[in-house]
Amino acid sequence: MNDSGTPTDTRDADFAREALPYMDDVYRFAYSLTRNPADADDLVQETYLRAFRSWHTFQHGSDARRWLFTICRNAFLRSREKVRREVDVADGDMEAIAAAMTQGEMRADGTDQLLSRVDLGPALSKALDELSEPFRSTVILVDVEDQSYDAASEVLGVPVGTVRSRLFRGRRQLQDRLREYARDAGFASAGAPAKEPHDA
Amino acid sequence: MLENTPMLDCRSAMQQLWDYVDGELTPERMQLVRRHLTECAHCHPHEEFAQRFIAVLKATREERRCPNEVRAKVMATLRAEGLTFS
Repeated sequence: MNDSGTPTDTRDADFAREALPYMDDVYRFAYSLTRNPADADDLVQETYLRAFRSWHTFQHGSDARRWLFTICRNAFLRSREKVRREVDVADGDMEAIAAAMTQGEMRADGTDQLLSRVDLGPALSKALDELSEPFRSTVILVDVEDQSYDAASEVLGVPVGTVRSRLFRGRRQLQDRLREYARDAGFASAGAPAKEPHDA
Repeated sequence: MLENTPMLDCRSAMQQLWDYVDGELTPERMQLVRRHLTECAHCHPHEEFAQRFIAVLKATREERRCPNEVRAKVMATLRAEGLTFS
């Protein structure tokens, strides 16, 4: 028996079945926070150690991956003793329009075609690594790890509206990096004018 | 019901494009935006681009997996902590 009254072998089997399969996901998220393989290694270990020690607090049937992400983020913040800076985003809809304008630019200079013609995985991975916080962890959670805005809001400890605007900004920065990549690689023309959405 | 609802204008559709792609709108909104994106020749390519962009981002998942040595270290740490699962 352990402290919570659960037989140890049941607890261990539950933990192995529900938490261990997400090590790749936790590693990716840890890497997105630390941007450093050695720190990511430490953070994954710390996350799983904390998760194991507090396994009795996990609500069975809830999302173990989200729970691990939350532990990972808290461990990261504690390890850095970092005071999070909130990003002020005044108007989420303006962010949405700006995102659409970036897409318009990519379409105008032909960069969007790269998405189907060229393997952009390595370039996009690099751009993701270089994305600044808090945009990187938000994009990783929603776009790579498939978390909903609600789930990301819970993991990151910020309102859903903040998740949404960080996501828009992060994606826009990634698209800008892809445009630079396309220009440098000679795939697209520079300086194409932006096109705003027209009224139907 | 939807047939009687006026079609969204392009600006509204673009404002909701990413929320639509992320599946974060209400079912009614999802339908309205889908209808606009399907019927509007100007906005449809924006949706195609957004879907492709997200697909490429998701694909980066495969490029970064937890290295085996890290996995082994985690398991050693957990065993030292009392995990008995083999």
